[in-house]
Parts: sequence; structure tokens; C-alpha cells
Amino acid sequence: MNPSDSDASRFRSAPTDRRGERDLDDLLVHVARGDQEAFEAVYDRLVGPVYGVIRRVLRDPSQSEEVAQEVLLEVWRTAARFDPAMGGAATWVMTIAHRRAIDRIRSTTAATGREHKIAEVETPHDEVAEAVEASLDRERVRRCLAGLTDIQRESITLAYYGGHSYRQVAGLLNVTLGAIKTRIRDGLIRMRDCLGVS
Amino acid sequence: MRLLRHDLHSLTGAYALDALEGGAEFERFTRHLSRCPSCASEVRGFREVATSLAFATATDPPPELRAQVLTAATGVRQLPPEVKTHAQPRRARVWVPWVPWLSGAIATAGIAVAVVFGLAQAHTQQELNQARAQNQAIALVLSAPQVKLLTHTTTAGGVATVVLAADLHKLVVTTSGLPALPAGKVYQLWFIGPKNIVSAGLLPSATSGQTAPVLASGLVHGDKLGLTVEPAPGSTQPTTTPILDLALPA
Repeated sequence: MNPSDSDASRFRSAPTDRRGERDLDDLLVHVARGDQEAFEAVYDRLVGPVYGVIRRVLRDPSQSEEVAQEVLLEVWRTAARFDPAMGGAATWVMTIAHRRAIDRIRSTTAATGREHKIAEVETPHDEVAEAVEASLDRERVRRCLAGLTDIQRESITLAYYGGHSYRQVAGLLNVTLGAIKTRIRDGLIRMRDCLGVS
Repeated sequence: MRLLRHDLHSLTGAYALDALEGGAEFERFTRHLSRCPSCASEVRGFREVATSLAFATATDPPPELRAQVLTAATGVRQLPPEVKTHAQPRRARVWVPWVPWLSGAIATAGIAVAVVFGLAQAHTQQELNQARAQNQAIALVLSAPQVKLLTHTTTAGGVATVVLAADLHKLVVTTSGLPALPAGKVYQLWFIGPKNIVSAGLLPSATSGQTAPVLASGLVHGDKLGLTVEPAPGSTQPTTTPILDLALPA
């Protein structure tokens, strides 16, 4: 065994593609075996988008921190169930993160009857957006979102960032359910092509 | 009916964004998804779009989160990999010996077809679904762009044939001519790494001296493939000397 194998730096030199997906896939396989160094590397790589998307959906910083912790522990716990054949590691983790944030909204709304919109007024998302460092991803996403029709863009952002169900989005935009389903799907197809997702 | 299906299909976008509320519609859609490969592939692509949307919001968390998460993880037990088992055949059947198919050049499409097994023997819907899922998973390995074929004799006799898809962290194993085991013993596969050894699953019982292909996931670079005889239903660590200790090329 190579002595440098036990050094955390072994996870930082591997070649990476966009977002280091392949590399992340390998890291997760190591995480599945209880490798703490690999988990630290996964944390460092993904905590920004995990926390960012949860914060964007939930707005409340302390709740967001709580949910981010749950998500990362879920990644640790279930790493063995990650299947690279079904999509990349970043996508697997972001899917968990977004779903947990949504679960939090839906359970909070159900428990208190409070509308998610209230939080929107308390912390306008621009504040978050401004705090974020400019990144390539942000630029590409903004450019691609700009290429959508207004209703496609609004329905995608209200659903994904706003955490609204498509029924709620239909209500907010005053469009039929059938139309919203189609707009979201058409918008995502355009985004997929624009972002160059295979 | 056609309208209904089209209707369901148009939910791929809402589903990928977690914008489908739980309930009957969600159930119907996820059922549909498990039977509609083109929907599943569309959802995969949309989830990648969603991943880009998430990356676009990347924000530094409070710095104390790192220590909290890393410390908490040490107290969280990890789930083991899912061990996929074959649908158990219930009646005698003639095995098509498929190992010889592999011994020449790898015609992956041909192999994928040859792998279809267990379907005709499944008696319940659940068995059928299991066998199908298993076949699909194996076919995926066999049709991976970079597979390597390895064969090796074991020290107990017989031959193990391995189709290795290192990129997918998976391999498929089949054996021929291993000694029959007494009741209460099983053949168990292992990934033997420099740091640790993990179970890679059990070999199914042999029919006419051959074991049906078994899929093992969770392979990492540097692992060797081991095979031991263990007391049923398998061990957490090997308890006997491996009869196969096969280096796996990267």
C-alpha cells in the first residue's frame, strides 16, 4: 500500500471534469466504506450548493443549517445506495438536499398552517443572491434561464427555488394545471439543451 | 388511456423539481416511471438541470457546520449496500451454458441477451420484477463502454469468470466447475482492498456446475476479488482462506 494513501490530500489531486463528477463518484464509493477523509472531501466539495439551495428554498438561516446537516448525514449514511449508473454524485446529493428542503416546507406548512410566502417577505432572496460569489454556474444558469419564455422561467424558479408544487405554481401564475406541467417540462428541455446536459 | 399516459409523461418536469405533491398522482407517476425508461431518462436529465440550479445558489454555510457534521457522522451507522438476490427458481430447468459465450471476444449486445435468466422461472410478480431488475442491472454492466473480461481458476478447482466495469464500480461474476458445497455452506465474494475487506455478495447455488451471473457493486480502485467458503448465510468478514484472490485492473 502506498503510504500517501492514508493522506487526505490523495483526494485533491485526482483529475476532475465539470464539477469533478467522476471524482465525486469515486469519493462516494469510499464514503460508503466509512472513509472519513473521503467524507470530508465530499463535504468540502458540496456543502456550498447544498446549503445554498436549502437556504434559497427555506430562507431561514438556522432552519437551513439544520436541514443541510441532515442532508449531509444522509449522504454519509446511505452512500452505499448511490449508484453511479443512475446519475452523477452531485446530482444524487442535490436531489436529496432539495427534497429535504421541500419536505421541511410541506411539513411546516401542514403543522402551522403558515404560508411559506411569509418567509419570502422577511428575507428577500436578493440578499442571499448578492452574498453569493459570482460563479461560472451562476452565469451559465442565468444565461440559460434568460433564454426561456417568461412563463417557463417563472414556473421553474417558483417550483425549484420557491419550493412550490406545480399546483401552487398554476395558482400563482393563474394558468391551468395542464399548461403548467407542459411549461415546466418544455422549459427544462430548453435548459437541458442550453446547459449541455447529456 | 393514451391520453392518460401522455398526461403522466408530461409530469416528468414537475417530478424532477420535486413539485409533485405526495398522494395518488405521485403514486401513479412513480409507478409509471418504473415502467417507462424514456421517462426515467428524461427525469435524469432534468435532475442534472436542477443540479445546475442548485450550484448557481452555492453559499458558504456557517463555518461551525463542518465540525458539527463530521462529528455527528462518527455516531451514525452506515447502511450496507443492497444485496441483490436472484429470483429463486422453483422448478428444474435446463441451463443454457452461457460462460462459453464469454470466452471469445466480448460482443456486449450478445452477452446482454445471454444474461436473461430467471424470467421464465419466476412464479410471482415480485419474483419476476426482481429477476427483471437484476437482469437490467447486469445488462448495464455488460454494455458499459469499458468492460474487461477476466477468467481465473480457483485453488479449489473450477473457473471464475468476471466481467469488470471499473467505471461503474461494479462487476459480474459467474463460475463453472466449483466443488459442490455441503449443506450450510456458501460461496461468498469479497472486495479485498488495502484498507478493508467488504462482502461483495454470495454466489447463487450452482446448476449443472455453473452459477448464474451475480452482480457486485461498490468496487474501488485497488480492490482484489476474493472468494471464500463461509457458513450460511455468509459472514461479515472472511473466515477461511480465499480460493480465489484476483487482482482487478483499473
